[in-house]
Amino acid sequence: MREKLITVEIDENGNSSIDLEGFQGQGCGDVAKDFRGGDSVTQSNKKREFYAQATALKQSQKHT
Amino acid sequence: MSQYEELTTTMTDQQYLVEALTEMGYKPDLQADGTALRGYGGVSWNRPVQVTIPREQLRGALAPVGFGRDDAGVFQAVIDDLDRKCSGLDESWLGRVAQAYKERQTMAVARTKGYVFRGREVIQTPQGTKVQLRFAVR
Repeated sequence: MREKLITVEIDENGNSSIDLEGFQGQGCGDVAKDFRGGDSVTQSNKKREFYAQATALKQSQKHT
Repeated sequence: MSQYEELTTTMTDQQYLVEALTEMGYKPDLQADGTALRGYGGVSWNRPVQVTIPREQLRGALAPVGFGRDDAGVFQAVIDDLDRKCSGLDESWLGRVAQAYKERQTMAVARTKGYVFRGREVIQTPQGTKVQLRFAVR
């Protein structure tokens, strides 16, 4: 199974952003929340993997 | 004549601030109840500061630098305006303090939440030097 990796990038002003690899769906939000909880991340962007999971979830809800 | 000025930060944790300054080569003085800053030519700052970098540690500076908590508990930097203009103790310097602070804070959050540290990299970008910290989920 692909390892879930988190990259936090901090610029010269102390602003930070987070990048997630191997996560899908709500898992992203939980990790972002962990780091944002300590105010250590000030920016996050959702990747295609997040939306892929969200779309799959929507489709499965439509079918039920 | 110079005067002290207050520069805004978002830093709230004294431990990370002190660690950041230490990493930058300073040995800050700590005053739990705060102390007034005294600078060149009798210049002073009357609001108390809890963290001070003595002038002797600031190459070419006229006055010590202080960090004092505001009413919301956020540290604000107090820097002599001439040192800000002539001794490199400017917004860029304060940004590097904030960068080192954020690195400490991020490492502490990751440790507390159980993430596995995978490495640190310093990268040069057109926007300046960035620190990359990598973690894995346990």
